[in-house]
Amino acid sequence: MSSSPIEQRLAEIRLTRRVRWVLYALGVVLFGALLYRSLIAVEFSASDLYQQWPIFVDALRNYVPDWWFIVERNLFRESGITLAIGFAGTVFGIPLALLLGVLGSGRVTPFPFNFIFRGIMGVSRAIPALVWFLIFLPLAGLSPLSATIAVAVSTIGNLGRLFTDELEEVSDGPIEAMQTTGASKSQTVIFGMLSQVKTSFVAWTLYIFEVNVRVAVTLGLLGGGGIGEIIQVQQGLRNFPNMMAGIVVVLVLIIAVEMVSQRIRSYLREDKEAGGLIQLLVGFPQRMAESALK
Amino acid sequence: MSAIRVENLTKRFGETVALDDVSFEVPEGEFAIVLGVSGSGKSTLLRCINGLTHPTDGQVFVQGDPVTSHRDDVAMVFQQHNIIGGMSAYSNALTGALGRTDLLRSVLRLNKRSDKVRALEALDTVGLLGEAEQRAGRMSGGQQQRVGIARALVQEPDILLADEPVASLDPGSSQTVMRYLRGAAEERGLTAMISLHQVNLARQFGERFIGLADGEVVFDGYSDELTFDVIDRLYGGIDMEEFLAGENGHSEVTG
Repeated sequence: MSSSPIEQRLAEIRLTRRVRWVLYALGVVLFGALLYRSLIAVEFSASDLYQQWPIFVDALRNYVPDWWFIVERNLFRESGITLAIGFAGTVFGIPLALLLGVLGSGRVTPFPFNFIFRGIMGVSRAIPALVWFLIFLPLAGLSPLSATIAVAVSTIGNLGRLFTDELEEVSDGPIEAMQTTGASKSQTVIFGMLSQVKTSFVAWTLYIFEVNVRVAVTLGLLGGGGIGEIIQVQQGLRNFPNMMAGIVVVLVLIIAVEMVSQRIRSYLREDKEAGGLIQLLVGFPQRMAESALK
Repeated sequence: MSAIRVENLTKRFGETVALDDVSFEVPEGEFAIVLGVSGSGKSTLLRCINGLTHPTDGQVFVQGDPVTSHRDDVAMVFQQHNIIGGMSAYSNALTGALGRTDLLRSVLRLNKRSDKVRALEALDTVGLLGEAEQRAGRMSGGQQQRVGIARALVQEPDILLADEPVASLDPGSSQTVMRYLRGAAEERGLTAMISLHQVNLARQFGERFIGLADGEVVFDGYSDELTFDVIDRLYGGIDMEEFLAGENGHSEVTG
């Protein structure tokens, strides 16, 4: 009977495995049911799509960009407005995002009270930027300014939440070290906590800026100005070549913003040498002199 | 008056007794070493002395005052350095002055000239004046620990505590860090209390020894009293021959 404990363990393992398979199967069934209900809710019909397909292909022929329109209407200037909405909105959102994000962390504000700040950020997030735009219409009208305010308000919640999450990751060591130096509470937060997450905060801000430029395009579709509004107007005029020209410019804008932002972010993440670039430029004459003297 | 007086100190974490009725006094200017294996209560003892941990029973007096929370005149060097990797060695050293700098000045790095000079002096003490502008996160383990010591010195403490300051360093760097600790304490007339688990380093640098085992003081005395019997009691059950061989190995590396 020397193998009996092993046989017993094997039986146990087999049982837990079986239970796990049953749970997987139940999960798949539930998932399938949810998908089925969703497709009914969205009135999905493969036959309708099939019938409509030739018409769509026909319409595609009109979707050839009119390149001249880009120059004629100076679409890059319009995309500059969109970029400005995204940029100014992000910058306006940062101070409150930082304040609420830090205060929302359970390590800064004791447990029940930090949820006040998390709550404020939650509201800012729960309402999409498009809806914030509608809310701010009476304040600044159908204008890029309303769009900027909408972007700023949604940035508070989105960026603040990322800040709060990031702060949960900081290690206790430097915080304790700052406490032992006799630092005040706010000094401990700034030097012990924020200094640990400085680069990730910059990286998250750049990410939110990327998102905000895309949001600024959609706000344009609602009348918030910039390249989005051009697309919306041309679509309304059924001038599809012009609309497509606008979409091409959007593509260029978004890809350019993402490339620049991701370049900076990966630079921050991999190197983590904040003063690296400055050192490179400032230190250049010194290194030249040093190598000349060798 | 003794710089540190510990009276019947007991600390329990749930069922575990970390410190059991610990009492001793350290006179001003002494370089004391707390010896013991991992889990013997060394860290808890040091954390009770600087107020990071509150004792279950008993009391700690620093310069005659009971310790209730962390205080400016007690500085601490940590095992994991706990320096801020994203800042330069100089900026890290300057954080030692936070206790006497107001918020706005400290954030804008508008520290008093005297504190800036003090930070550079402290870096000079630990042999890092030339590396002052280097990012701390890029330095070696030993250098990071020396930045930690510099920060503690900028605090201008009367008492310097160090919790296993060399536990994560190689033998060579351990020697260097211990030498700078001892030197700084002597130069500035500090009372120091360093916890270590390496007996050879302790014998080399220590003046006074407090041996902990299972949270109890099993030895309290000076170098000449620290015999192999005592070490055997502290590190009970280890193979003495292998232990001594290890000690020779260390002196080869550093000698």
